[in-house]
Amino acid sequence: MATPNELKYTSTHEWAKIEGNTATIGISDHAQQALGDLVFINLPQEGDEAVAGEAFGDLESVKAVSDLISPVSGTICAVNEALLDAPEMLNEDPYGAWIIKVEMSGETEELLDAAAYDALCEQEG
Amino acid sequence: MIRKLKLCEVQGTDPYRNLAIEQVLLESQEAGCCTLYLWQNQNTVVIGSNQNAWKECRTELLSQEGGRLARRLSGGGAVFHDLGNLNFTFLVPSEDYDLPRQLAVICGACRALGIPAEVSGRNDLLADGKKFSGNAFYHSGGKSYHHGTLLVNVDMEKLGRYLRPSEAKLRAKGVASVRSRVCNLRELCPDLTIGRLKQALAQSFSAVYGLPVERIAEDALDTAEIDRLQTRNASWEWNYGRKLPFDFSCEARFDWGEMRIELQVENGKVAHAAVYTDAMDHTAAPLLEQALTDSRFSLADLQARVQASGFAQAADVCELLKQQDL
Repeated sequence: MATPNELKYTSTHEWAKIEGNTATIGISDHAQQALGDLVFINLPQEGDEAVAGEAFGDLESVKAVSDLISPVSGTICAVNEALLDAPEMLNEDPYGAWIIKVEMSGETEELLDAAAYDALCEQEG
Repeated sequence: MIRKLKLCEVQGTDPYRNLAIEQVLLESQEAGCCTLYLWQNQNTVVIGSNQNAWKECRTELLSQEGGRLARRLSGGGAVFHDLGNLNFTFLVPSEDYDLPRQLAVICGACRALGIPAEVSGRNDLLADGKKFSGNAFYHSGGKSYHHGTLLVNVDMEKLGRYLRPSEAKLRAKGVASVRSRVCNLRELCPDLTIGRLKQALAQSFSAVYGLPVERIAEDALDTAEIDRLQTRNASWEWNYGRKLPFDFSCEARFDWGEMRIELQVENGKVAHAAVYTDAMDHTAAPLLEQALTDSRFSLADLQARVQASGFAQAADVCELLKQQDL
């Protein structure tokens, strides 16, 4: 799957789509492949604060629990609760199945563009 | 790159404390270091991070018989621990996490004891085609652990009794356990003891990484933090009260009529109760619905609410709840 050019990426394999002051956040195709079949997601609630570089939820796949790291800081303004019943959507359509939307304030993590992110994935193997 | 190996063995068998020690070891993990933690829990069912306690375990039976239920941070299904089981945990910075290498330590120790262990599939350990170790994983804050059970001579009768297959009466969202045929290593190595296995693991750990092993003692860790996490791990809220909504229902026919009880449980408490009955007593449903709402979802709490409800046939309803084997 091609890495979409219009998105920004973290070294922990989340993507962010930044439109104005709002960031939509999900996990990359590389992440979903490395994690394997997802069976459960713990989501934050609307109104919770997201902090760049810190966990905002977690995912469970084949007996492993892994943090979801926020690429940006701000207030969570939308949560994709459909994932609670169907976390496998993240496997099937990683760039379509968003997880949260954040109304940004303050700092963002240093984010990678698609080319830099591909290079990172290549390096990690 | 791993440049240093540490080994932490503890003698206590309280699952809440041992899981707290595991988390403190993870949080204090230093760069370039891999720690092997060896621990045992007495008579305990440990469920995965996202599991429903009632669905995976006969919680009332377990606690009546002096057992404990604990929740771990890693994913996966429910397991039973007693002193015939040895737990191992590899704790590393995430960049040094290497599952094949960690599994090679376990396989190497087993082979040194004459057990033909091999890795099967993604992360199962088999000997003679049977599973003797269940493994699970946790990645957080740039640190990771991989832990698992090693069945030496576990009480298989208790294991089978406490870990129940899911029953239809409980509709829950959490992660379901996958039942596996398991075997004790003592079947393959009759004179195996926990002590010998620990020794073989320490040797294999050093051999696989090619480094000496430094022992660390429990009292070298942050005991205030261990105490705090132990309290959390032992709490009802942590083990039962998680935000994992589920629906429970039960029904029976009595000489005064039929009754069906449906409960929606959230955070371990009854968020909504519905009672359907053809009993002549029209106060039955509203009395019971009101009594059950907000109750903790435990047999003792539900029964106390029913007793206090004022419904004339409360004793029958209590018996119905008891028979559900929560």
